[in-house]
Amino acid sequence: MSASSPAVALPSAPWLKALKRLNAVDIVLWALRIAVLLVIVAGTIGCVVKGRYTAAQWVDFVVFGLTIGSIYAQIALGYTMVYGVLRLINFAHGDFVMTGAFAGYFIAVPLDQSGFLQRQPVLAMAAILVVAIATSTSVALLTERIAYRPFRRVTGLAPLICAIGVSFFLQQTFRGMFGSAVKSYPEPQWQRAAFNVFGFNVPRIDVILIALALLFMLALYLIVHRTRMGTAMRAVAEDAEAAALMGIDVNKVIVFTFILGGAMAGIAGVFYAFLYKQVYFFMGFTPGIKAFGAAVLGGIGSIPGAMLGGFFLGLVESVGPALFLDGIGITAPYQLRDLIAFTLLIMVLIFRPHGLLGERLSKKRA
Amino acid sequence: MLLRAPYRLLALILFAFFVALTAGAASAAQTLGPVTDDIGVIRILKGAPIQIGAYWVLSGADTALGLDSRRGAEIAFKDIGGKLLGHPIKFNVEDDQCSAEGGQTAATKLAANPQTVVVLGPACSSAATPGAPILWQAGITNICNACSAPALTDPSRKPDYAGFARTIASDKDQGASDAKYIYEVLKAKTLATVHDGSPYAQQLAAVTAANFTKLGGTVVAQEAVAPTDVDMHPLLSDIASKKPDVLYAPVFVAAAAQLLRQSKDTPGLDHTPMIGGGSLAAPDFIEAAGPSVVGFRICYPDVSIDTMGKGYPKFLEEYKKTYGEAPTSGYHANSYDAAMMAIKAIEKVAKADKDGNLFIGKKALRDAVYASKFDGLSGPIGCDAYGQCASFKPAVMEFTSADPKTFAMGKNPKKIWP
Repeated sequence: MSASSPAVALPSAPWLKALKRLNAVDIVLWALRIAVLLVIVAGTIGCVVKGRYTAAQWVDFVVFGLTIGSIYAQIALGYTMVYGVLRLINFAHGDFVMTGAFAGYFIAVPLDQSGFLQRQPVLAMAAILVVAIATSTSVALLTERIAYRPFRRVTGLAPLICAIGVSFFLQQTFRGMFGSAVKSYPEPQWQRAAFNVFGFNVPRIDVILIALALLFMLALYLIVHRTRMGTAMRAVAEDAEAAALMGIDVNKVIVFTFILGGAMAGIAGVFYAFLYKQVYFFMGFTPGIKAFGAAVLGGIGSIPGAMLGGFFLGLVESVGPALFLDGIGITAPYQLRDLIAFTLLIMVLIFRPHGLLGERLSKKRA
Repeated sequence: MLLRAPYRLLALILFAFFVALTAGAASAAQTLGPVTDDIGVIRILKGAPIQIGAYWVLSGADTALGLDSRRGAEIAFKDIGGKLLGHPIKFNVEDDQCSAEGGQTAATKLAANPQTVVVLGPACSSAATPGAPILWQAGITNICNACSAPALTDPSRKPDYAGFARTIASDKDQGASDAKYIYEVLKAKTLATVHDGSPYAQQLAAVTAANFTKLGGTVVAQEAVAPTDVDMHPLLSDIASKKPDVLYAPVFVAAAAQLLRQSKDTPGLDHTPMIGGGSLAAPDFIEAAGPSVVGFRICYPDVSIDTMGKGYPKFLEEYKKTYGEAPTSGYHANSYDAAMMAIKAIEKVAKADKDGNLFIGKKALRDAVYASKFDGLSGPIGCDAYGQCASFKPAVMEFTSADPKTFAMGKNPKKIWP
């Protein structure tokens, strides 16, 4: 046999070339993908085979998921808008939610005690929301003016650390002013009723909260996309310097962004408190982190992405333990709910860093 | 030859150093003044304070538990005039936040103070589980007044816990009593349990479930939440599908309030009684649970005045006079007893030299605490070989009003069993 025999030539099929380019990191990432996929598929099959849950329960899981998802979405909007215009991850945003919930509490309790909340639910809810929005927006504006503006031209981690500092400051201030005990939000009778939707009983409060959240998000979307200030916001998000050269007052746009974010935080705070009936100084932290996850999941900087991410995260949290974990025989699966949520976030960060609806950042923006 | 000469020499030196170190650790007897002790001696200079440490939950939703405990100990120190063997008492209290991390931090801080003679608390087993070993590594005895997880005084516990004793009964007894109440009094045949991953809730839920099964009942669900969870709806829907007669959730204030309120909105569980545990006897729980709290029952050690020690009514008066309010929870008497236990043990083992300096042997103090025997405010105190120093008195209490200001042990919640 001659030495130049074609039998020794390296194969050149494209899949083999791709295989040759694989390194250890790729293999680990592929293993991770496959493992998560296996858990999802095996869990779902296991759950279906067991057949433990009725259709009514699945509807409940979905409704609960959409409800908490709608709140995550509203909080996520605040994160995403501020990131869009300032490139700042505003870690104090969850605490803006807390300030709104607290302000609402101090109005809701007397309204409940006087019976007004029960007799005039629309007016009472409007009053609670107005006070909550005013408070959280004021806190957001003060934070922007006092804490963030001096860092506007600073690069590196300083603004982020400042945001974390503001978060601690707000938590501890409210703790100092109102104590560390958990306070109970009123629960008027009209919230306890249920709607009948296609033969399934759905709690009225959930339906109201989802509907109102969609309404407020639609309003926000229209403001951002159909008004002059919204256009200016998008221009600043695209390129702040070019926007300034075109005559846009960047300061005004940033203040407007904080107003919008603070308002959404106030609404979310009241909704969260009406849903879970409790307020306390640390209540903004967990939904804040989850909503940040939702914003990243949807694509940070993208408004529809934040909405989608919020709903998606809420649904996965609610349905995931029963669907994926119970099916593979994990006991007490609800304790692992956050694990599902954050695994999802990690998966997105690894495999689609720009999120579900996010655009790839140009070098300049990144 | 495995090693060359210089390396052999180095290995030999290291080995000798290691042997010396181990031998030293094994017989670290210390003599200071008139006291020799196997694990160390604390010297308190004439006129200097005797430093007693403590760690309790003093912030967050479970504050009432820790605050009440702290006050019990403070009254004990006040009762002896704030001085012990001629030295003022310095009470160093740390906040453990009722968590493992908080317990670890608080215990580390207390252990780092070489003048800490003994440590009281905590109120939560979550804090005691990492805290007690840290303290004992520094030779500090820990007397707990409200952490009831069975593992802490179980005969199979690790030697790290040898310095731990408690003036509260074990949940081994509490769980057996709870199962009996649920099965025999409530006539429940099926039970669902929920814990929050804390040693207290996890172990109590497991003991109750095991006893309930032993009695002939069926445990249809053993679920868990995180202490900070707020959305219990999916979990409760899941539990409702298993149709339990009783929902047993010995978790802490925030999670318990959520479970209670949301279970009332969950079809299938809206009429299922929920039973809680000893961490919920606090006005903060009434505040957090709102109107749902009325009719809610907790299994609790019996703290009725007639079951307590004879000095209890006077103590209550003192408590109200000092703090301007009734006790905020039910573990103040246990804390008073823990402080008294420490005081008596210090009095027993401390020795003064001719200059008036005081010397306390750490091992001797631990042994004196374990040898305690007296009629305490919470009942008779006497320890077994594993530091279990209180006996169990079962009770079930029911909340009668949703107004936090009406909180008073015996009235709201009031004892309904036995």
